[in-house]
Amino acid sequence: MTQTVKTGPAAAAAIHKKARRKVLLKRALIYAGLSLVAVYLVFPYVFMLSRSFMSERYISNLPIKFFPNAEGFSLEGYRVLFVENNYFQYLFNTVKIMAINIVAVPIAASLCAYGFAKVRFSGNKIIFAMMMSTLMIPGTVTQVPLYVLFSDLGWTQDIRPLVIPALFGGGAINIFLLVQFMRNVPNELENAARIDGANMFQRYLFITIPLCGPILLYVAVNVFSGTWSDFYGPLIYLKSEDAYTLAVAIYYDCVGPRADLNAINTQMAAGVFMSFLPAVVFLVYQRKLVDGIMIGAIKG
Amino acid sequence: MQNARLKRKLMNELGGYLFTLPVLLGVLIFTYYPAVQSLIYSFFEYDGFVQMNPVGFRNFIRIFTLDRETGTVFLNTFVYAVITVPLGLVLGYSLALLANTRIRGISAFRVLFYLPVIIPGVSAGILWRDLFDPTFGIMAQIFRILGLPEPTFFAEASTSMATLVWTTTWSMGGGMVIWLAAFKNIPAALYESARLDGAGYFRQLFSITIPLSTPMIFYNLVTSVIGTLQIFSTMIIAGGTSGRGVDNSLYFIAVKIYNEAFTRGSMGYASALAWVLFAIIAVLTVVMFMSNRWVQYSEDNG
Repeated sequence: MTQTVKTGPAAAAAIHKKARRKVLLKRALIYAGLSLVAVYLVFPYVFMLSRSFMSERYISNLPIKFFPNAEGFSLEGYRVLFVENNYFQYLFNTVKIMAINIVAVPIAASLCAYGFAKVRFSGNKIIFAMMMSTLMIPGTVTQVPLYVLFSDLGWTQDIRPLVIPALFGGGAINIFLLVQFMRNVPNELENAARIDGANMFQRYLFITIPLCGPILLYVAVNVFSGTWSDFYGPLIYLKSEDAYTLAVAIYYDCVGPRADLNAINTQMAAGVFMSFLPAVVFLVYQRKLVDGIMIGAIKG
Repeated sequence: MQNARLKRKLMNELGGYLFTLPVLLGVLIFTYYPAVQSLIYSFFEYDGFVQMNPVGFRNFIRIFTLDRETGTVFLNTFVYAVITVPLGLVLGYSLALLANTRIRGISAFRVLFYLPVIIPGVSAGILWRDLFDPTFGIMAQIFRILGLPEPTFFAEASTSMATLVWTTTWSMGGGMVIWLAAFKNIPAALYESARLDGAGYFRQLFSITIPLSTPMIFYNLVTSVIGTLQIFSTMIIAGGTSGRGVDNSLYFIAVKIYNEAFTRGSMGYASALAWVLFAIIAVLTVVMFMSNRWVQYSEDNG
């Protein structure tokens, strides 16, 4: 009797300690795995950042160093980018195209989505089906005739081919996501507003749109990253150097015919410069995006 | 009363067409019209401006017989797709499972995992060229430290495809986000009852998590097959000045179409190539939809 009283808690403590050690070990293993994967995935970009601040001589020394020392540190890469080349101009060009798209696509797409989600009319299903069918037709098929069309219209001298399509909703995916979201917005508010005499456009603008904040933000972020990294469109349509976006300027300078950026530090600086704004947008927006809250909201 | 109802119905008709007018016009102008035009061009020799001579099926015959590059570009594209599509699915899914662990600080890890995805393709392209430089690249140095044979990466035709496939592993975080959302939709009660029945982690994974995410797996499979076959931007950068890699080892269909249309000015031939690619994509999509019996749609979100 006395024995069990004595050993009971001690044995329990021993078992508890063992179990606790097992949990701790498991947790340590998980952290080790997570860290290993994180290091693998992130080190190239840290390396790009670090190499953009090295002098050309320091870069060409073997063995390669991951971080510059006081002697190897240099802003030469960025100087070449901004002083010898017009990278602020290219940034401005990119921002201009992005800004027009980021305003026009959510507006046009939400108008169309409202029509599909909230208005009963004879063409609803057929126009929606037509829109969805465009997802099956690959861009490679349409690009040649579109180029011919835009050049016949005389648009290939400027950015019009890269912004005018945005006025038509900017593609089926955005409209589809908005339709899915709007269908889950309850109709009671709509009906009440109609009884109070609000017309269809007022109901769209004052009732439905304010409730679509998260999905409109999601579409805007999609449009941002799409236009920011778009390479093919600017490559085909932007003929004059003054109009180049960052994507084509970097391509022509680092790989293509211009080859103005020969030094690795400048090339890395260009890569960092182009990634800077997407990284900021991502860091501001990351919780919603990475935790899947947005996509959860879309699936409703 | 009846008049009011009729009036409302008419207003709905008018309003509906007005609201959806942008997308209707957009579909007609930017997809249907060019798709039809492209099919017409493919039967012509056309420079995009004036010269337009009908050639019958000669463009298509040239693709399959005279043009020696066709075999290379199709083979490269298919090899790349056959490896990277399953690899991307498996890696993205495993990464999502890892990122789905309930542990302190997991959000920070998710951010790090997703970071490579937001880097624009052009930035990534020049980064890979430096990282995988056979002499001055950090990867070559790692090979040397580990005592591995001197690598050639993009500099040799025999290793350039493998190197390109390797670079795709950095974007596995892109799939992760979608999988994480899919995991959220799986009812927690299923895991609870499985745990009560004594099922361990792997049993739960293979009996609950994977079967219930098959609709998303299928969706991802279809979209990544379609996307991968048309891949363009990383290729043309990793492929160097010519956009084709050493000895055409990184020459892809989309780059070939671009070269034919915009470098050589053979719009007709480029359109024919695009239609062959379209046909292949269409057949693959139909095959995937016909063989999707492994996808388990649940009742509520089927």
